[in-house]
Amino acid sequence: MRFDGVWFRYGRRADWTLREVDATAEPGATVVVLGRNGAGKSTLLQLAAGVLRPARGVISGRPETIGWVPERFPADQPFTAGDYLRRMARVRAVADPHAVDRWLERLLLTEHIDTRLADLSKGTAQKVGLAQALLLPPGLLVLDEPWEGLDAVARTLIPEIVAEVTEAGGTVLVSDHRGEITALPGAIHWTVSEHGVHAEAPTAPTDSDEVIVEVAVRRSEATQAVAELRAAGHRVLRIQNPEVRRAHSPIEPTPDREAQQTERGSR
Amino acid sequence: MTALVTMRVAGFVRGGRALAPLIAVLVELGVIYGGGASPAAVAYGYSAAALFPVLAWLTKLLLDTEPDVQRRLARLAVGPRREATAGVLTAVLLALVVCVAAMVAPWLFHGIDTRVDLGAGLALGVLAHLLAVPAAVAVGALASRAVTGSVRMGVTVLVVASVLVVVLGLSGSVAPWLVPPVMATARVLSGKDLPQLGTLVLLAGWAAGWCVAAFAGYGWLRRARA
Repeated sequence: MRFDGVWFRYGRRADWTLREVDATAEPGATVVVLGRNGAGKSTLLQLAAGVLRPARGVISGRPETIGWVPERFPADQPFTAGDYLRRMARVRAVADPHAVDRWLERLLLTEHIDTRLADLSKGTAQKVGLAQALLLPPGLLVLDEPWEGLDAVARTLIPEIVAEVTEAGGTVLVSDHRGEITALPGAIHWTVSEHGVHAEAPTAPTDSDEVIVEVAVRRSEATQAVAELRAAGHRVLRIQNPEVRRAHSPIEPTPDREAQQTERGSR
Repeated sequence: MTALVTMRVAGFVRGGRALAPLIAVLVELGVIYGGGASPAAVAYGYSAAALFPVLAWLTKLLLDTEPDVQRRLARLAVGPRREATAGVLTAVLLALVVCVAAMVAPWLFHGIDTRVDLGAGLALGVLAHLLAVPAAVAVGALASRAVTGSVRMGVTVLVVASVLVVVLGLSGSVAPWLVPPVMATARVLSGKDLPQLGTLVLLAGWAAGWCVAAFAGYGWLRRARA
């Protein structure tokens, strides 16, 4: 997919949000869109998805099936989570009759099937947004701040899903302002700033010069430990938290006194 | 497209926003038929004209019920043209239901004088409502949030268009062709004699031409407005 001299503004008298954007995302690539609040990350993603139309310039080579996870899921609708997804599956002409159930289960939404969208927590609503985008295997998956409001278990699902889409030849665009980017190795960075977009090749270390170190930390210190490890430039791959697991999984895990951190450090 | 239409009908009906226009329809029917029985053509002609602003309002409410982000998700799912068409079709469907109710209601409280040209009157009544529905839906669609962007602008478009339909539709108007022939149809139907076929064809052609222009405008405006 290619952006050729794309300009965009919200309205004729508004200032340009994006100017002269030239960028390319190859099939199988993961692109992380970075930038400060209000820089135009969300606008760029909506242009990529085809939700917004550029005022000038062309976006070409967009795959046919597009999954878009909006920054805020539109929960103000009189449907339950299950009903909404089944209706969206029909709207999107999903042929696979098990697609809805599979994603409900995988995103740990089964217990919320009959909950009204308006009554869902922010993170659970975000998962419904994720599910509707994945009902058809997307050629382009656009994730706008997908980690927002998600719990630790759900967070680990995002890199998994991204990897599955890219392995199938799809392109993934994801915006991130919380530094979760570390979970997406090999991603290209697009930095949105001063109304332009600058692309950078992957800066993350490759697998060959990394080792995996498993670390156990006290529950009370887990958050701080993760932050410190990330600050030191390490990639936190997985957080095992029995309590979080128990709250979301029908299978009782073995009790664990300590939250385990799996750490892959480049040393 | 059927799935999207069904989803929008469900969203609108369950959301409870249909209640206000429904009450407005009941009040209007009460006013029209409260005064005693009148010939079918006359009664239905006025009913169609009176329903016009309510149907336009109903359309705006329906199209505005869906959150903007959900409309964009639907647009991605079925494509911009089909998304916009599905919205218009949903509105036409609901407007037709209201029209059927409005045509059946007077029979419940003896509002139709069955002694005068009943068959022709019924047929003309159906025609009057069928001419009003697409025009009202077009006005409502042009006033919807997807086009106007703000509540104030949307309400302004809806009110100004509805007032103009009446004012420019009065006999002796300077530019009657600027608005759909809702008032003209009511006038023709309330005449002493039943209207000529030529007059009806002219009214239908006028309404069709106006609707084509209005929907083309809606389609053009929605191109860049998701």
